[in-house]
Amino acid sequence: MSAKDRPITSSLVNIAMWVERRLHLVKIWKATAGHPIPKSSASWFYTFGSMTLLCFTIQILTGILLALVYVPSANEAYRSLLFLNYQQELGWFLRAMHYWGSNCMVVIVFFHMTQVFLWGAYKHPRELTWISGVVLLFLTLALSFTGQVMRFDSDAYWGIGIGAAISGRIPIIGAQVVNLLLGGPIIGSDTLSRFFALHVFVLPGAVIALVSLHLRLVLLKGINEYPTPGIQVHKGTYWRNYEEMLHKDGMPFVPNGIGKDLVANGVLLLVMVALAVFVGPKGPEIPADPAQVISEAKPDYPFLWLLSAAALLPNGSEVILFFVVPLIAVILLIGLPFFSNVGEKHYSRRPVSILVVMLTYLTIGLLTYAGITGPWSPRMEAWSGTPTKPQFITGRSPVELQGALLLQGKQCRNCHSVGGEGGQRGPDLSAVGARMNQPQLIRQVIQGGGNMPAYGNTLTPQEVNALVSYLVSLRPINTIPALNPAIPEKAERVSSGEPTKGAKTGG
Amino acid sequence: MQARTLYSILLFGGLGFLCGCDRLPGKPKEEDRWKPPSEIKDFALLFNTNCRGCHSNGQTLSASISMNNPPYLAVVPKEVMHKTIETGIPGTQMPTYSDKAGGSLTEEQVNILVEGIYNWAKGHEAPTDNLPPYSAALGDAERGKAVFAQACASCHGSGGEGTKGKGGAVDKAYLSLVSDQYLRTVVIVGRPELGMPGFREYVPGKPMTGEEISDVVSWLASRREGPAPGQSAKTAEIAPKTQPSTPNE
Repeated sequence: MSAKDRPITSSLVNIAMWVERRLHLVKIWKATAGHPIPKSSASWFYTFGSMTLLCFTIQILTGILLALVYVPSANEAYRSLLFLNYQQELGWFLRAMHYWGSNCMVVIVFFHMTQVFLWGAYKHPRELTWISGVVLLFLTLALSFTGQVMRFDSDAYWGIGIGAAISGRIPIIGAQVVNLLLGGPIIGSDTLSRFFALHVFVLPGAVIALVSLHLRLVLLKGINEYPTPGIQVHKGTYWRNYEEMLHKDGMPFVPNGIGKDLVANGVLLLVMVALAVFVGPKGPEIPADPAQVISEAKPDYPFLWLLSAAALLPNGSEVILFFVVPLIAVILLIGLPFFSNVGEKHYSRRPVSILVVMLTYLTIGLLTYAGITGPWSPRMEAWSGTPTKPQFITGRSPVELQGALLLQGKQCRNCHSVGGEGGQRGPDLSAVGARMNQPQLIRQVIQGGGNMPAYGNTLTPQEVNALVSYLVSLRPINTIPALNPAIPEKAERVSSGEPTKGAKTGG
Repeated sequence: MQARTLYSILLFGGLGFLCGCDRLPGKPKEEDRWKPPSEIKDFALLFNTNCRGCHSNGQTLSASISMNNPPYLAVVPKEVMHKTIETGIPGTQMPTYSDKAGGSLTEEQVNILVEGIYNWAKGHEAPTDNLPPYSAALGDAERGKAVFAQACASCHGSGGEGTKGKGGAVDKAYLSLVSDQYLRTVVIVGRPELGMPGFREYVPGKPMTGEEISDVVSWLASRREGPAPGQSAKTAEIAPKTQPSTPNE
């Protein structure tokens, strides 16, 4: 250091000390970052909390930058996202970071809760830490949902629609809740403004408040020690033993215990950047316009399991899925530290906890997989854009070919595939002639059944005849049409068509 | 010092990677951007999304007549094709496509479709000698029965009821679903891809004349029970025995 620098340095030190004497920053630093933790807690399993905080910080930063361009109006929102994607330098990257940051946050919150649950960290005296964490989970999911609405594309539109439909079923106050959420009885110009206010003001504010409480509780009640099988939690002795452990075997979180957190957060940041760079942002898809029927609206990843659960549950059980199950889940989650307050912490002595985690992950994982892969919507363009494979055309008589045209023209292909091509809401029809006989097919077409609407009012008798003739012809070569078991010989006689190939037909 | 150099390379390299490279896989591509259906101007895309479900592009088979079909295109006037796409054919599975008539395609898109379809025939034009007119009045059903017996019965049976493995032409449901014009067009151009030849080949060395075609269509129409597609029973009774110059499905 040169002599010339010295007065500046000493001035800076003086200013710093002046600030320190008034704010006592060193004391605050020691009490927070430097708070003592058990040595055993410096574990890779204990890094999920700080990773969640990193995700939230990234969401705040990228969210502020997005808000500089995003216009929260029904007319402008979609356009401002296109501007970010295609014109604003690195706007797409910003969107991608915000999108993947959101997905990562939900996943890591789940991992964090799983670890806390399996390691018994919710037990005495950390009940309130757990409860604030549960509320933070719900707030994170709410942020994720309101965030997908910001895209204001078809996913957002139908997502709000489903959200409103669920809210509308709340007993007594359903209509009022829908009105409050949407700014009216239906999705309109006020809806996006309301969700924007929730997404950027109300929910982040609530998260900041709850995170502050959560961290305050972590400092006050200490980081959970790495549990040892056989060591029980007793309300009367736990805190004394914990303090003794800190005294004998503790170390400050910064600098001694933070190493693994830094590495884990670094890896997470790289993963998020990689996802943003290599996969990119989501959408915007088709604009939020109910007239655009060719859309397969799906929610973002965190809600796909809910989509498939709602779609798979039997008709009439919506109230159970949307109200009874969540109520039980909330009671169980919030009540957990009271139901299981003391005793063993280590998961190896709590087999039920392992079972609960496995069942939860399997259920959510499989439902999410079904949500991604399942054919939840008809393929609305299949009738005009999906050709029929040659093997389902050759050898058909003129009337059967008219039936094939009806299968397209009446948009049956939107729900039914033939030869694996077309919609998949209903069964594939490639071999329907071997499964169902002519009277059964006529009845099904006219009256519907299962999830299929009745077409009796929209088809003429001749159209039904032609369509069913074609359906009867859809069966493997050298197989007879499906028989009526009661009168097999008659069924065989009335069933027309043979699955012939290459015959001269036309017409 | 070495570590600092490494960090600098990583930092500036990473920033350069993000800022300078337009080929990052996550960057949204212009071609993936959603466009309103009215902005689609590509013939192949328009055909594949609107027509391909029923009409072949010549590469495979289809339930209705292939559009990549020079003999067919030699018979059907362009303006009829345009009108058919615009307004559809009432009573059949050919829907309205023009946005002026409640469909989804703009005038420009209909023109692109018509031009694209006729471009398929360029360089492969079918012979036009002896070509019967696309549309004509119905002929004499009695004479048509004899023409049918001579030209069509080998495949469709003497009464049109079909032979083993070959379809009947007088199925009541079939006749009630196709217009007279459709019958006429199919008699003229056939469905070669399905084994049905055109008017030149039914009787070897003797192309079917326009009059014979009108007669045979008349006989087929006489076997229909009830009105033709798009006609009410009353209209069918008082309608002149001419074929409308609307098109086939």
